[in-house]
Amino acid sequence: MKLFTSSCAALLISMASSIAFAEVSVIVSANNPNASIDKNTVSKIFLGKTKSFPDGTQAVPVDQNEGSATRATFNEQILNKSDSQLKSYWSRLIFTGKGTPPKESGTDAEVKALVANNPNIIGYIDSAAVDASVKVVHKF
Amino acid sequence: MQTTKYWAPSILALAIASPAMASDLNINGFLSVGASMLDDDKVEVAGADTQGGFKQNTILGLQVSKQVNDSTSVTGQLVSRGSDDYSTEAAWAFVTYAANDNLDLRMGRLRIPAFYYSDFLEVGYTYNSIRPAEEVYRLPFSSFDGVDFTQRFSSGNIDGSVQVYYGRYVGDFKAEGDDTIYAADFRNLTGVSVNTNFGNFGTRLSYNQGELNLAGGADPTSNLALAEAGAGAIAGLLGDASAAEDFNLTGQTSQFIAAALTYDDGTYNLLAEWTSFDHETSLLADDQAWMASAAMRMGEFTPHIRYSTRKEVADSGNEGKIQKQLGLEGEESSITLGLRYDYDSSTALKFEAQHHDEKTIGGVDGESAMLYSVSVDLVF
Repeated sequence: MKLFTSSCAALLISMASSIAFAEVSVIVSANNPNASIDKNTVSKIFLGKTKSFPDGTQAVPVDQNEGSATRATFNEQILNKSDSQLKSYWSRLIFTGKGTPPKESGTDAEVKALVANNPNIIGYIDSAAVDASVKVVHKF
Repeated sequence: MQTTKYWAPSILALAIASPAMASDLNINGFLSVGASMLDDDKVEVAGADTQGGFKQNTILGLQVSKQVNDSTSVTGQLVSRGSDDYSTEAAWAFVTYAANDNLDLRMGRLRIPAFYYSDFLEVGYTYNSIRPAEEVYRLPFSSFDGVDFTQRFSSGNIDGSVQVYYGRYVGDFKAEGDDTIYAADFRNLTGVSVNTNFGNFGTRLSYNQGELNLAGGADPTSNLALAEAGAGAIAGLLGDASAAEDFNLTGQTSQFIAAALTYDDGTYNLLAEWTSFDHETSLLADDQAWMASAAMRMGEFTPHIRYSTRKEVADSGNEGKIQKQLGLEGEESSITLGLRYDYDSSTALKFEAQHHDEKTIGGVDGESAMLYSVSVDLVF
């Protein structure tokens, strides 16, 4: 029993640390001229409060699918909101015709492909999945 | 599985072809199903009675919106309310023209942006309580037909919006404590609201005014018509016939002011809202109402508490004397304790106990009662 408890604890700790330490990168297309984007601006883009990149070009955010660990980290670290808080936030905008949430566009691979092919799209993926097709503008 | 495979490239192609992803038809909905039970029939709260029931708290809304082109979108929202025998109404039906990234022009059927919760009043999922404080949320109608402009601004940590509207409301109108349904024609509805967010704090100010008219006048047996006749008789007794002239609705202006302060740090959530109604006509009593609420998020559980109160204030002079004779004086308050449980990211279960105290109603002492409510609120 003691062994079971301690191994459970160890498992929990390793799970917790892997969630806490998985680094997430905010990415744009390699063709996007913006070099780096601060946390505040990333948050504004993903909350629909601004519709453009710092250089003035149109910014279209894409989300990962609900349930993705990367998305949970992003919501918590960048947007500072829990899932249900975020749902409330968007519901208030959706049902007043004032905004629509970023499109759910799959996981790391799908988001990376979307971003790579369109300089207007901004997304976030696990840093381990980053390659030369995309440019990292913020890391956390 | 195959569908997924075929979908992926086509979604990709769509995204590449159109950066704004303009071609989607968005369908969203919300549903609140609730039941409530009052422990004393002498008190009126939220349309509830001592037998309990689901109908008063049930609301279904369906919304369809579509981005027609880069600058134009259309939105329609149909709402069906149990408290209204499930008759379906278009709460919103408008076209939005985005003049630029920060300026929207909307035309059609819109919501009166009088209160903090006005815009999403019926989407129970978006707030912690089962229903907004009735003492404060007391406008007898919620939608109007007209036009509005919304200018958003953002600078550093501060962002917000200014909204200006103009329109008219033709439809049903129910005065408080009066069962008659009047045919309202409220004209020149106009107002401005200013929202500001800075960090965890938010403020909202709104000023609204409108001109009252009843299409075809009030039914002679209705409370409003009786009060108007009564005012004439009392004015005669007071020897001040001119005082009676203030007791009619037609063409009279009413003003409504609201101010709200919010705080949300992710754990604690506070809201205070103060409102004031000022009627040119003496047939409706001026009143002031405010509420304060606090909630604490602990994972899926959010306990909350709210105090809300409203007080009618009689006019000065003979008009005020007549209002007192007509019983146009009231004072009421509520304390509400509730718990919200987020079952998943789109479903909330809510439990609430509300103590409602009618200190004065119709000029005489009232009663108090407990109202118990449960609800399930979803967005989809």
